[in-house]
Amino acid sequence: MKVSLFVTCLVDQMWTSVGAGTVAVLRRVGCDVEFDNRQTCCGQPAFNTGYRDEARQVAQRFIRIFEESKADAIVSPSGSCTAMVHHYPELFAGDKEWEPRARAMATRTHELSAFLVRVLKIADVGASWSGKLTWHDACHGLRDLNLKNEPRTLIRNVRGVELVELENAEACCGFGGTFSVKYPEISVAILDQKIEAIERSGVHAVVSGDASCLMQIGGRLSRNRSKVRVMHLAELLASQSL
Amino acid sequence: MSSREVILGSIRSHLAASPPAELVQSVFLPEPTPPTLRATSVVDVFKESVEAVDGHCVVVQTEEELTGVLKNFGGRIAISDAPLLNRLGIEPSRDNIFDIDVGITTAQAAIAETGTLVLDSSRERNRLVSLVPPVHIAIVDASTIFQTLGEALAFIHQDGNISPAVTFITGPSRTADIELTLAIGVHGPQELYIIVNDGPALTR
Amino acid sequence: MNQLSSETFDKNAKAALADVQLRGALRHATSLFGKRRLEAARSLNNWEELRTHARAVKDEVLLHLDRYLETFVANAEKRGAVVHWANDGTEANAIICKLARDRNARTIVKSKSMTTEETHLNDALEAAGLQVVETDLGEYIIQLAHETPSHIIAPAIHKTKRQVAELFTSTLGMPPTDDVAQLTRTARATLRDRFAAADMGVSGVNFGIAQTGTIVIVENEGNIRLTTSVPRIHVAVMGIEKVIPRLADLDLFLKLLPRSGTGQRLTTYQSFITGTKRNVDDEGPDELHIVILDNGRSRMLAHPVTRQSLACIRCGACLNACPVYQQIGGHAYGSVYPGPIGAVITPQLIGFEKTAQLPYASSLCGACREVCPVKIDIPQLLLHLRSEITSNGSKRNATERIAFKLWAKVMVSPALYNLSSLAGRLIQKVMPLAPAWTRERDLRPIEQQSFRSLWKTKLSHE
Repeated sequence: MKVSLFVTCLVDQMWTSVGAGTVAVLRRVGCDVEFDNRQTCCGQPAFNTGYRDEARQVAQRFIRIFEESKADAIVSPSGSCTAMVHHYPELFAGDKEWEPRARAMATRTHELSAFLVRVLKIADVGASWSGKLTWHDACHGLRDLNLKNEPRTLIRNVRGVELVELENAEACCGFGGTFSVKYPEISVAILDQKIEAIERSGVHAVVSGDASCLMQIGGRLSRNRSKVRVMHLAELLASQSL
Repeated sequence: MSSREVILGSIRSHLAASPPAELVQSVFLPEPTPPTLRATSVVDVFKESVEAVDGHCVVVQTEEELTGVLKNFGGRIAISDAPLLNRLGIEPSRDNIFDIDVGITTAQAAIAETGTLVLDSSRERNRLVSLVPPVHIAIVDASTIFQTLGEALAFIHQDGNISPAVTFITGPSRTADIELTLAIGVHGPQELYIIVNDGPALTR
Repeated sequence: MNQLSSETFDKNAKAALADVQLRGALRHATSLFGKRRLEAARSLNNWEELRTHARAVKDEVLLHLDRYLETFVANAEKRGAVVHWANDGTEANAIICKLARDRNARTIVKSKSMTTEETHLNDALEAAGLQVVETDLGEYIIQLAHETPSHIIAPAIHKTKRQVAELFTSTLGMPPTDDVAQLTRTARATLRDRFAAADMGVSGVNFGIAQTGTIVIVENEGNIRLTTSVPRIHVAVMGIEKVIPRLADLDLFLKLLPRSGTGQRLTTYQSFITGTKRNVDDEGPDELHIVILDNGRSRMLAHPVTRQSLACIRCGACLNACPVYQQIGGHAYGSVYPGPIGAVITPQLIGFEKTAQLPYASSLCGACREVCPVKIDIPQLLLHLRSEITSNGSKRNATERIAFKLWAKVMVSPALYNLSSLAGRLIQKVMPLAPAWTRERDLRPIEQQSFRSLWKTKLSHE
């Protein structure tokens, strides 16, 4: 299976181990991974803030680049970025040329856990990590991509992990893109309820499928000097620490 | 142009400006099967539903038993104009309805799954008697208890006619407006007693 | 009446966040509401089907709203209702004030109606020298407190019982108590006389049945029944979108509305009112007036995305599910309708001039969409409104617009992208990026080596 990696601008700039982990996991399960270094962003920041023309410019570039790939699937370690690509048909609604191209692109693009479990039908990626973990359901992944069982299935098969269910796992972390800096006080108030639940759960780490949520949660945990760390699903699945 | 014309015009022009929409087929639920009056099999369900919403429910078999139950209630009493109530020999008070302690009416039908009474004001003068006094007693024949809300809706609209005021009553009045704490007895009755007559029909 | 403005939403929100009592009250109320709603939804095995169906019925009505409204009005008028049409709130208030004057009605009792809050009816009636009393317990509380409702179905939910008790003691002379039952009894006793003496009762409408011309109003307290049966005149105010086709369709909506709103199977009372009484000495009002209100609603019909705003059945479930509302409550929105539904209908009803912040006051989490009984896609609506706001060319977001134009240029050019990431890496050495972030959260530094560089140097060879 040939996979083209859509690494996301956030991971590219601020969390490269997520990208490296994604590559490692995909290779470990037998995929041939290619990376087109012309990629930049999916356009989500512009789309979410209301700048659809700008979002379309960036989306068109994304579509052009990835259309050239002969890979069987485009895989991304981000629920929100994958969901954005799934919104491309809506972004180009009514455009006779671009709407079909957008639809085709959306069909080919998968979030990592969805790709592993639903497409490759793999639940055990041969990972190991020792400790008590909990999963935060990132909103776009949960509600736009219906990711609920897939990450949990993958995590349960990581040797050495004790997975506990987070109280209100589905509650938003308060990031919301530019919301986190337009309304920082509200963003942090929402975040603190998530942090409370995390601390109560007694875990060593919080795992999620979106680096943006992890930045938000991790940023507060570290400001609080908490012992709890954050980990991206790709990092966990790449881990073979036992 | 009247406001009516302006508003309807605005609706039409904005709809016309909208891109065509795909309508889901068959949006309408089928009309429920014509109302069938059930026998006592629904009485237990009804009683349980009434008690679940803090109402009281008692089942009687005869008019004598009914009178016996009503004897438990004292104070100033008001009754509706239902023939049954008028022949039971209850002494109605002449006080203003706002000074009455107990209001007694019948109910034209009921709903088992929710413990609901159906009061039709065109068949009985029951609107204020069932509302203003702090205690409301309602007498309903078991044969008029429907299983579902849908059947009751069809019942009140029989022959394409609906009376000017129909009321569905499910339990005593309540509120949770203060800290979401339930308080029973706000503006409507504080207590609701339903007497189900499971014997030969009395309210017809 | 004291009301915050949506223009100062950010300040309002900050103030709300600092109010410890408010946050405690909100946490308690929204989590309890949410829990009850979930249990009630789960008690039905066809909840999802009901939602889909209800939305389909609403879509059908909205696509033919003029015809359904005309049918409703014709049937209501046939039964003796007098129907008035009001383009906007001012007109609606004027109609009601004139009616009160013409009929010599001096005391008015009101049951809870968000539509009359929208038109600020009470202010208009009081300005006309009329006495208005709110009879819904929550509305009565906020009327005494000179406040506005903070929630669509539980107007005083931002108050603790201690605060309500203090209010009753200071305004009604009630002896101090913490007992909710006692507070409720006090309200009942105080309002009783008002019902008896009222000349006119004003209510809202939950559903207008086109098939029969019936108005349907649901409640728990009994004040709606009193308001609509004791006074000699009943005025019912109804938004144009409240009409549904048939009486039988109520089965669907009466399954969804109480469960979504309060977690109840059914509210205590449903009043089905069709025209006026048949005989002069029957019980009930002598006159029924229905005021049909547009006030900006018809405009929303022009686009499928905005049209869904009119499907709302005012259950309040989205408020309880919203992480933003849960933290700041309703007053901060500075609009009659708060929470997710408020954030989308307020700008559409009154324009973006004062409300442009509201569609941005959301993390787009989608919890609202999940709980909406008629499946309104609120995040889709918020995104639509955000794009309207940015494209209207106001000076307000000029800087942001330029920033995103530049951003797009960078994102379509790998050379510029690499340059800007290099710039970011350098800048962060000397200056903190994004102080709005770093005030309360640590920020991960931009990596010294980007993933694309890592791929090139290492990963592509493995």
